Amino acid sequence: MSIIRISKLLCRTAMAFILLLAGACSVQPVSTNQYQGDIGDAGVEARPVAELHDQALTALDDNQFQLAIDYLQRAIKIQPRNAWSWHYLAQSYRQNQQFDQCLAMLDRSFSYSSYDDVLELANDRLRAQCQQG
Amino acid sequence: MPAKSKRKKAKSTRGRKLRKSLSLGLLLLLACLGAYLVYLNHLINQRFTGDTWALPSRVFSRSLELYPGLPLTLEALEYELRLSGYQAVASEPLAGQYRVLGGSLELHSRSFEFSDQPEAARLMQIFFDTDTVDAVIDSNSGSALQLVRLPPLVMGSYYPHNGEDRLLLKQDEIPEQLVKILVAVEDRQFFEHYGINPMSILRALLANIRAGKTVQGGSTLTQQLAKNMFLTPTRSLTRKLNEAFMALLLEVRFSKTAIITAYINEVFLLQQNRISIHGFALASRMLFRRPLHQLQVQDLALLVAMVKGPSRYNPFTRPEKALARRNLVLGIMRDQGLIDSGKFQSAIAASIGIVGRLPGINPFPAYLDLVKRQLRTSYSSGELAVRGLRVFTAFDPLAQRNLEAGLERGMDRFAQPELQAAVILADYLNGDILALVGDRDTDYPGFNRAVMAQRPIGSLIKPLLLYGFLEKDLSLASRVSDRPIRIRQSDGKVWEPRNCDRKLHGDMSLYQAFIRSYNLPFVHLGVESGLQLLADNLDKIKLLKHDVIYPSMLLGTTEMSAYEVAQMYQVIANNGYFTPLTTIRSVTDQQHRTLKRIPIQSHKIFDQAAMIQVQRAMVGVSEAGTARYLAARFKHQTLAGKTGTTNNLRDSWFAGFSQRLLTVVWLGRDNNSPIGLSGSSGALRVWADIMQQQGFRPFKLSRDERLAWRYIDPIKGGITDPDCVDSVLLPIPRDRIPNTRSRCQ
Repeated sequence: MSIIRISKLLCRTAMAFILLLAGACSVQPVSTNQYQGDIGDAGVEARPVAELHDQALTALDDNQFQLAIDYLQRAIKIQPRNAWSWHYLAQSYRQNQQFDQCLAMLDRSFSYSSYDDVLELANDRLRAQCQQG
Repeated sequence: MPAKSKRKKAKSTRGRKLRKSLSLGLLLLLACLGAYLVYLNHLINQRFTGDTWALPSRVFSRSLELYPGLPLTLEALEYELRLSGYQAVASEPLAGQYRVLGGSLELHSRSFEFSDQPEAARLMQIFFDTDTVDAVIDSNSGSALQLVRLPPLVMGSYYPHNGEDRLLLKQDEIPEQLVKILVAVEDRQFFEHYGINPMSILRALLANIRAGKTVQGGSTLTQQLAKNMFLTPTRSLTRKLNEAFMALLLEVRFSKTAIITAYINEVFLLQQNRISIHGFALASRMLFRRPLHQLQVQDLALLVAMVKGPSRYNPFTRPEKALARRNLVLGIMRDQGLIDSGKFQSAIAASIGIVGRLPGINPFPAYLDLVKRQLRTSYSSGELAVRGLRVFTAFDPLAQRNLEAGLERGMDRFAQPELQAAVILADYLNGDILALVGDRDTDYPGFNRAVMAQRPIGSLIKPLLLYGFLEKDLSLASRVSDRPIRIRQSDGKVWEPRNCDRKLHGDMSLYQAFIRSYNLPFVHLGVESGLQLLADNLDKIKLLKHDVIYPSMLLGTTEMSAYEVAQMYQVIANNGYFTPLTTIRSVTDQQHRTLKRIPIQSHKIFDQAAMIQVQRAMVGVSEAGTARYLAARFKHQTLAGKTGTTNNLRDSWFAGFSQRLLTVVWLGRDNNSPIGLSGSSGALRVWADIMQQQGFRPFKLSRDERLAWRYIDPIKGGITDPDCVDSVLLPIPRDRIPNTRSRCQ
């Protein structure tokens, strides 16, 4: 009896070991998250970038277009995938009568603006304005 | 007529003639002298009324933007501050100084005229949390600052041919104390005389006769200025006369204040290799890392002491002599009542107080060279050397330091002293060139290989080639064939390309052919439809160098520099947006007026969805392809890249990118002899060393609704189950998803 018990115990242990090993070796399928990333404006850079946006918009209100462009280029250097920075930059170029630059910057804003309906609408409107010149 | 009378008359006639001749001679002499004075006056006019000095143009780095959360260590910030000429102190810092307080750093930034607006000096404390900035606190108000822009550092200068460097001071910027010391030591009658001081000359003459050699000079400050500005230092009577005439003219034409200002800006004080340091302002920056107005009295005394003999009283090479002369000057100051005894005692007790060593002249030659090349269309070398422009660049001193450290470590892997390197590091999202190396000796100002060395790029061409196929009608799952091919070229020669391993691998997916960098599938596809596409795409990024296109272009026989390769990969990494790589952002003149701006540019020239597929394939290269070394070294950190190797292992390339950084590495020899290294065994290792040193965020692909992600069998190209060991997850255009299924292998 004891031999049978021991044999059963050994078998069970062996099975458990095999299952454990199989589990450990089983393939964990990779997901798209491994390759795709969020391209929004999250992160520690958000606050300084927001401050630069504020300064740029104030400069735009004062018709200091070049100053606004300078602020926004600084914002883009800190956080280059921030769709709003590109949008405001396009807006600054439009107000500075640089319509080709406006459209080029809008392209970049669109490329980072997925899932932001408000921004996409603002971009559409601005594009129409830049195209009209 | 008596003979006596005749003689008298003849004598009188001769006398008249002589007087007449003498008068005429005198008149002629006066006329000559007048003309000569007019000439000297013209010389003075030329220098004093135009641009008096040829001023080197300064090249500035990027400005460091400090904000909470910025990845930056205290040590890295200290490095940048030291490079900027900031001085570490133990007491509360003045402008241009800092002190380390435990885990924080108290900084008194300098004021700076940025091209957009001026920034005032500011006292702040920066707190760190391991590898990031935790908080920036304004020391005066105690409030937290969200963003602080520090002044950029001067990373190099373009010097005039005479090698002179100086910082100019305006009259109102000169410390009064300096003028007093200078006058007390060099020319006590300066404010009384008219350019020359006869008594002083006589005194010097007597002293020199007594000594039997020249021991004393009798020149006034104005004469010294005339000599320094217009004449040579050779000792001759003619030069002395010219000096005196010019001094007189200077005094007639200009005020004493203008003369002393010119003297303070002109005087030669120090030699640093081929560059001569003129003027007190620059000497102060070089010796004490502080502006003139922040110097202590003993520091000013040392500068004035050096006027007598910049070489003899050089505080680096002859510190004892310089110190003795400084103390002599301090003694004169006490005797003249410029300082009291107490101040005198404390000043002579002070050490010489200069920096340990002078900052290097242009320690980043490759970057500086590229700046000059990119400015060429706007400014000639000559203009850059004399106009005193301020060139603002994207140069990142911390990135450069990491690049150099990584390169050094990487090159140590190979026992090849003649192996050369070129590396470029750029931010592919905004086009900034952050760092550059054109020689394995990174500070060697010779041949800039990163820009000048044109070498075949081998398989580095494949991503652009792949883009052409994917944009047209293929997907990464498309089946391709690795079989031999023979192509008869226009010159009659037969081209028979081979794979790097000289083997054949049968059929496979395009993805697999790419990550393994097999040549034959690409040649097959290329000759069918890809060659013209490749040429067109190269043309879009301005890299098509010949009108004639030829099949071997498919395997990267096109020659490029590392800089050009970086431009090609910038477009690839940036989803098809072409952003010209640039070192320069703006140029201003001495008065801070903006002359030139280079804004961020962005032009969509390639299709984003196709480019995302290329990027995914490049990630595959680093996961399971020719650069799988990266997956082993940087576990769970996605990177994208491509290796490149040329015939007989002559060139070793690697180009790759993370979330923001693009780095291209080339290794090879100047004589083009084989180096025995492939892209994988050579440049890739160096690239990894550089990126490790740099630190990076993993690369992420953008989303595109036109693409669907599917598990694909990399050999058969069919759809597989997610848990198949060899399956790969690939983005496939929705209209090209394979309709075949592959079983797990």
